[in-house]
Amino acid sequence: MSMVDLWPVIPLLVITAGALTALICGAVGPGRHPYIVAIIALLGAGCWALQPVPLPEATLPGVAFHPFARFFTVLFTLTGAATLLLSMEYNLERQIRGEEYPATVLFAVFGMCALVTASNLLILFLALEALSFAFYILVAIDLRKNESAEAGLKYLLQGAVASAFIAFGIALVYCGCGTLEIAVAMQGGTDTAGAPPLFIGGWGFIIIGFAFKVSLVPAHLWTPDVYQGAPTPVAAFLSTGSKGAALAALLLLMMPLKTGTFLHHPLWIMALLSMVVGNCAALVQTSLKRMLAYSSIAQMGYLALALLTVTREGYRAVVFYIVVYTVLNLAAFGALSTLLRSCDGEALEGLRGKGYVRPFPGAVLALAMFGLAGIPPTAGFIGKFFIFAAALRGGETMLAVIGILTAALSVFYYLRVVVNLYLNPLDAPPSGERVTLPEGLVFGACSVVIFFIGIHPGPLFNLVDRIIP
Amino acid sequence: MTTFPLLTILIFLPLAGTLLLLPAWRRSGWVRPLALIVGMAELALCCWLTVVVGSGTKLPTTVLPGYFLREDLTWIKRLGVHYLLGMDGISLPLVLLTSFVTVIAMIASWRAVTEKVALHYTLLLVMESGIMGVFLSLDLFLFYLFWEVMLVPMFFLIGIWGHGRRIYSAVKFFLYTLTGSLLMLVAIIVLYLLHGSQTGQYSFALPDLLRTVVPHGTGLWLYGAFLLAFAIKFPIVPLHTWLPDAHTDAPTAGSVILAGLLLKTGAYGLIRFGYPLFPDAARLFSPLLIALAVTGILYAAWIAYAQTDMKRLVAYSSIGHMGFVALGIAVWTPVALSGAVLQMVNHGVTTAALFVLVGMLDERAGTRDIGAFGGLWDKAPQLSFCFFFFAMASAGLPVLNNFVGEFLILAGTFRGHHLAATLAFLGIVLPLIYTVRLVQELLFQTERQPLPVADLTLREGGVLGVMVMIDLYLGLHPAPLLAIIRFPVSLLTGTDGGTP
Repeated sequence: MSMVDLWPVIPLLVITAGALTALICGAVGPGRHPYIVAIIALLGAGCWALQPVPLPEATLPGVAFHPFARFFTVLFTLTGAATLLLSMEYNLERQIRGEEYPATVLFAVFGMCALVTASNLLILFLALEALSFAFYILVAIDLRKNESAEAGLKYLLQGAVASAFIAFGIALVYCGCGTLEIAVAMQGGTDTAGAPPLFIGGWGFIIIGFAFKVSLVPAHLWTPDVYQGAPTPVAAFLSTGSKGAALAALLLLMMPLKTGTFLHHPLWIMALLSMVVGNCAALVQTSLKRMLAYSSIAQMGYLALALLTVTREGYRAVVFYIVVYTVLNLAAFGALSTLLRSCDGEALEGLRGKGYVRPFPGAVLALAMFGLAGIPPTAGFIGKFFIFAAALRGGETMLAVIGILTAALSVFYYLRVVVNLYLNPLDAPPSGERVTLPEGLVFGACSVVIFFIGIHPGPLFNLVDRIIP
Repeated sequence: MTTFPLLTILIFLPLAGTLLLLPAWRRSGWVRPLALIVGMAELALCCWLTVVVGSGTKLPTTVLPGYFLREDLTWIKRLGVHYLLGMDGISLPLVLLTSFVTVIAMIASWRAVTEKVALHYTLLLVMESGIMGVFLSLDLFLFYLFWEVMLVPMFFLIGIWGHGRRIYSAVKFFLYTLTGSLLMLVAIIVLYLLHGSQTGQYSFALPDLLRTVVPHGTGLWLYGAFLLAFAIKFPIVPLHTWLPDAHTDAPTAGSVILAGLLLKTGAYGLIRFGYPLFPDAARLFSPLLIALAVTGILYAAWIAYAQTDMKRLVAYSSIGHMGFVALGIAVWTPVALSGAVLQMVNHGVTTAALFVLVGMLDERAGTRDIGAFGGLWDKAPQLSFCFFFFAMASAGLPVLNNFVGEFLILAGTFRGHHLAATLAFLGIVLPLIYTVRLVQELLFQTERQPLPVADLTLREGGVLGVMVMIDLYLGLHPAPLLAIIRFPVSLLTGTDGGTP
């Protein structure tokens, strides 16, 4: 093994080193230092992936650092860094002390990056497990809150079942194709006669497992409870990073497929149910975090709508929308964690009139809501447009129309947040919700990106075209 | 193609003007004049353009027939979206109307808005940009973008400064219009894919899409989706229920813009996109549209008579007038279509003036109940005169502007649709009943409650005076405006001009 072989895994090494340093650093200088170390490590890994020079062909077995992996490595490291920035003040307030928090976030990012770098089914599964384990801990990290522990347990139990499904699915695919190499296995093995039944069966299990990971209906039941129980920045990370990673892994598996027609029907049903159930359930929520959880279920339904076309155009739309959705959800959860810092609950009424006394996070939350609702000129509009255009091009007219109608429904609950922010009078003078500098950085960056993609999506389109040729 | 991006400036000047308000955000005394300067500058620009066009000066010729100005830039290459703007004889009057009505709205809320003044004027300016964009876009993607952008400021205008059930009305307005437009979005995408599969070149530009061969069945669905979106904005009768609520609860500036401008975008969309893109389907749907338009005219007159809240009454009268516009578009003859475009301008000015007047009465007396007023003519003669004048204009009194538009529409309709024209003629008479009742109760009835109604101030008098002049001018001498409208209408209807 030479130095060159290590190139593709350098981001992973940097992240791991960062996590260990954060742990050591916590022992020496606690407080904010572990966070800063972790953020620097993440940005370093992201920058490595960003470098324009084409990396030499990787010869390590099981990993490949292709443009797709590089793109998502950058996305996940930035998401992780944003999560850490958002967590600093929140954790101080909630007395979530200690260096294990930033270190665990780094382990989660490690899992995500390893997931998209994998070229082998086993590595893929290990990465998925690493990622899930980090999240089991993160969800339950608020020791003073019973809900947090409850959410952690719920996520662990259901997550373990989902992992078992995926593991079994991989095993079946291996039996059917005789290889763990993704590129070969997903062609249905070396046999040219067509996909063996074991292969199809294995995919059935894999799809069920991933449906849980990205919370598609009917595997969505954990989502609202876990989002509600988890600390808000963790919920942000869970809804963006872990779902983005699971979707990226699914894309990685689906892209080499010779024919994906057998995936059409299950995905069709799950997309339909997710859009309808997610949006309808979100309508009646009174807790903001539960509402955002159901909203994210609906958003996953839109993504499934693009996935089930099993076309390149659909995959591009998925990648585009993952970026848009990540930015929007980070902004939404981030602004919530600031605005609701002093309140105990997360009721919708807690936002009454806050848009005027807390203009910055208020405006960011409103922007994120308009974005999630798909109102131009935000990124959400372009993303949804791309999704629906891909679905219509793939011939899914009926599902697209249903999707659009549920999207119209969704505007109601997104608007309710805006109504509470700006149209209702303030109940009591707020306290202790000042925006700190790290949070401000995240809010500013998210707002700029939301508008930038909404008005000038050309660069992102080019990038997506390059990673999925 | 012009080198000077006049149309871009027209759209983005108000938006850029909001930056001017930022330094003065907390000083309402500064914000109002600053916003007004921006609005005036925009109005001046539009007036100058109209004069240049009206005097027949050759503007740089463009590729598109009938267009004075055109701008074309590639915006999103990947999707084939162009930043394509164009101004012809149909958009020019509406653009002028937009800048004028926005200025009126700014002056109308001069004293009425005392809280969050800067935000209010910022929203007005953003709205102006959005509406300008709707009237000037020739790319469906761009059009759709502006179409939705203009909803957001109106939502806040109603929701923050409104009265009564303002939140309910604001949300209803937003959801109602958005649902229609989302289905239009699907239709736009389908049309775009259809065009792409036929020519191999994906584009949203109207001139390209006009060449698409739309299969009959698909065309019906697509046109249906377009029609739904535009009919909600119009509003055409079974889809009108958002309008009375939105109008009643909106602040004066909101009502003025809603009636004066937002309703016009629906009619404009139908003229610019709906009919030209799907001529066959439009012809097939036209009896339905005619029936709905006539129903709307009669129904609105009937309901308006029963109103006790004068703002609601004006709102319903507005539905009736837009019914005439819908009728003019539905029959699609040169005369009727010219009348429809003219009527959009007329209705914009007259109804805006009525909403301003109702707002003034509300501001002074604190009530909009028709039964509470009486004997205003003696107490506030100038205000009463203006009210009388615009009420009569709205009822279609000859010499005043609305008469011309309604007359042209009826004349154009009568040729092919005797029954519809006859029924719609009733729709000219019926408004007289409720208007006369309104005027009688408000102005000439003996005073019922001692309400503090002062006469017009200089600011109010000036605004209304200008509007009176415009109404008279358009009523007595509509020829210059009709001359501008005539050519694009003849292109659209495929005739050599007709004699409007």
